[in-house]
Amino acid sequence: MLPDLLIALTMLSNFSLVATSRVSKAIQFAVLQGVLLGLMPLAMGLGRHFHIVLLAFAAVAVKGWFIPFLFRRALKQVHIQREVDPYIGYTVSLMLCALGTGLSLLLAHNLPLKPGTEYALMVPASLATLFTGFLLLVSRRKALTQVVGYLVLENGIYLFGLLLVEDMPALVEAGILLDLFVGIFVMGIVINHIRVAFDSTDTRHLAELKD
Amino acid sequence: MLDVALVLASAGCWLAGALASAVPRVPERLATGLGLLGSLLALGAALHLLTGGPASGLDFRVWGFPARLELDALSAAFLLPLHLVGGLGLIYGQRYWPAQLAWGSGRSLRFFYGLLVAAMTLLFLARHGLVFLVAWELMAVSAFFLVGTEHEKPEVRRASWVYLACTHTGTLLLTALVILLAQRSGGLLWTALPASTSPWLEGGILLLAVAGFGFKAGLLPLHFWLPSAHASAPSHVSAILSAVMLKTGIYGILRVSTLLPDVPRGVGGTLLALGALTALYGVGNALAQRDYKRLLAYSSIENLGIIAMGVGLGWTGRATRDPWLMALGFGGAIFHIWNHALFKSLLFYGAGALLHATGTRDMEALGGLARKMPRTALAVFPAVLAVAALPPFNAFLSEWFLYRGLFASLGRGYPWSAALGLVGLALAGGLAAVAFARFFGTLFLGSPRSELAHHAHDPVPSMVLPMAVLAGLCLAVGLGAFLLLPLLDRVIAVLAPGAPALLAAGLRADFHRLAAVELGLLILVALGFRWLRGPVDAIPAAAQADLPTWDCGYAAPVVRAQYTGSSFADAWAPVQPGLRARMPRLRGLFPGAASFRQAFREPFGEVFLEPRLARLVERLLRFRRLQPGHLPVYLLYVLLTLLGILVWMLVRGRLLG
Repeated sequence: MLPDLLIALTMLSNFSLVATSRVSKAIQFAVLQGVLLGLMPLAMGLGRHFHIVLLAFAAVAVKGWFIPFLFRRALKQVHIQREVDPYIGYTVSLMLCALGTGLSLLLAHNLPLKPGTEYALMVPASLATLFTGFLLLVSRRKALTQVVGYLVLENGIYLFGLLLVEDMPALVEAGILLDLFVGIFVMGIVINHIRVAFDSTDTRHLAELKD
Repeated sequence: MLDVALVLASAGCWLAGALASAVPRVPERLATGLGLLGSLLALGAALHLLTGGPASGLDFRVWGFPARLELDALSAAFLLPLHLVGGLGLIYGQRYWPAQLAWGSGRSLRFFYGLLVAAMTLLFLARHGLVFLVAWELMAVSAFFLVGTEHEKPEVRRASWVYLACTHTGTLLLTALVILLAQRSGGLLWTALPASTSPWLEGGILLLAVAGFGFKAGLLPLHFWLPSAHASAPSHVSAILSAVMLKTGIYGILRVSTLLPDVPRGVGGTLLALGALTALYGVGNALAQRDYKRLLAYSSIENLGIIAMGVGLGWTGRATRDPWLMALGFGGAIFHIWNHALFKSLLFYGAGALLHATGTRDMEALGGLARKMPRTALAVFPAVLAVAALPPFNAFLSEWFLYRGLFASLGRGYPWSAALGLVGLALAGGLAAVAFARFFGTLFLGSPRSELAHHAHDPVPSMVLPMAVLAGLCLAVGLGAFLLLPLLDRVIAVLAPGAPALLAAGLRADFHRLAAVELGLLILVALGFRWLRGPVDAIPAAAQADLPTWDCGYAAPVVRAQYTGSSFADAWAPVQPGLRARMPRLRGLFPGAASFRQAFREPFGEVFLEPRLARLVERLLRFRRLQPGHLPVYLLYVLLTLLGILVWMLVRGRLLG
């Protein structure tokens, strides 16, 4: 019951993410999504495994505290306007997101699942989150909103990894967390360098680097 | 066990020497000493094995998978020239390319030279697909840096890039080969494959090996990287590239063939024909060169063709279970590999001495150097005779093996390839004699053709010494070849399992007789020389200095009246496919001033391949639009690929049932 609620909230936050026009709102939704997913293992009743609890705490700490902290610093440093500034309009984005969610439901219906998986919504939700992350990455212009997209993408992968959590927990989750951390870290550096080089964080300027 | 450990230690010495020479403030003496020690170790181990020591191996594990290094007679046969030429080149390079040159090129040269030798040593030991490929790539990449030593020159950069592209294309084929072998034998270890039911598979493996290794060995359509790479590299590097690295291609072909239970019949004849064509093509283009290092490079193509003919003959023998053909073919190939390593590195050292003294690679700017550089001329002369396969020098004997084998196979009913091989070998030998008469005559005889040749001088002893050693070996191998027959028999036993040791038993008497005749001839030549020389010695030394080298009835010859290299080779113009001449038509009794122009373009690489590649590049440039430089577009590609895969997974079940 509780996991399904969390998954539903995650899917809802996907829609909010593509529909919002404010950078700070998008960040807040992404962080909210991260925390919701961080609580998932506990909600799934895996609290008896100590290392899973530890990893859940780590995930909540990184996604709920450390990454927002990095975001706030980046926002302060680069003086970004509040507008998200998309390539694709909000309505179209919303429709694409809905399309992606529908497609992932269809896909998940046809994918062979591990026998004994209780949470039927987990696979479609993770695929939908993946698509949302990609959509954000592709359609948003600012480097910072692209980091948000990356974060959402990683959330999707994390959700998928939860399917395997009992079989290979430490490997999957530590890998994901490390990946996420490095990704955000590198993008933070990149953002700063883009700003220094072009006096703006619009990724369109990166096209000038093409040979 | 001891032998393989010695060879491994030798590779370690070379590697340590390479590292030591890369670090500033380490004395160069240390690095050189390490390399020479490595050479001595490997030479000792290889000789011990070839003279009767047992084959030894070393098993270990790479990431949990079994791997093997092994020293057998075939590896030893290739380690011998590698470490001889490698060590001599190290001595030669000391003064030829001082370490303190600008751009640090001296240091990088020494580093990659050591790395190249270490990589090739490992290559000859490897009996594991992955280890072999790693050693192969290490060798290819260090050779790339060696060729590009003078990378400030655009033509050198170009040559090294062409080489890199070619060697990687070859590696691609070799990777496929390694995978194919692994599928057949069920592991990456190179062990003898089980007998198969279809000859197509073995033929396919062999053809893939010939194509992949042929890039390195410079077999006919895959040779085009070779001339410019050899011309651009420093001379002692050209020597080791030509003397050993090209032979790694032959080694690979031979090694793969030893793994197969059988060799299909047609493959041997095909390789024989390909070798004959390569030899003819190489020597024809060697005739057309003005650049003497490029001439040597084309001559390497010729000799690799001859070696490939030997391998082809040996395979024909293996397919038909004919012990004499195996012995003569494989024996001739291995023997020619040794001989070519000796005389070609000597020629490249000589070319380096000329380049060092005059600064030009253009033959037509030089001439009369025998007076200015007598030691170089004396050292190079045996190599010139050897490359033309004249007795009493070494290459005569290895080609004699091939002639005997070809005649034997002509008598046994494999006529077409043997006939082509005979004609090709004879023609290549004759044309090589012309090309090297031109080489020696234009460079060392006659009068200097430009100022550059006036100030030439013999190189320092550390450069003369390697040349003298190699010249002595050329003669010694020619006269004492009967001592090498048992060694060749051991190598043949690896290449053709079950073959009896025929060479030592069958040819010893012939070789004794040949050596006696050659010794007699040498004594005759020496006596004749003294007799001819007698009257000259009677002329006072002061008058001798003014005499021209070659008078020929002209009282006061001018420099421009002598033969140029190109006019000497002009009679053989029909066999020089890359040469284009432009001559204006002269009309009337008093024609005006006119000029004659002659240019060489590599017939396959530059005339055929280059325009086609340029067109291909132009077409491929259209795909640049796929790469707009916007990050979101790239991510969109990832998304579309992902979607495509997922949709495929959805419909696959329905489509395929």
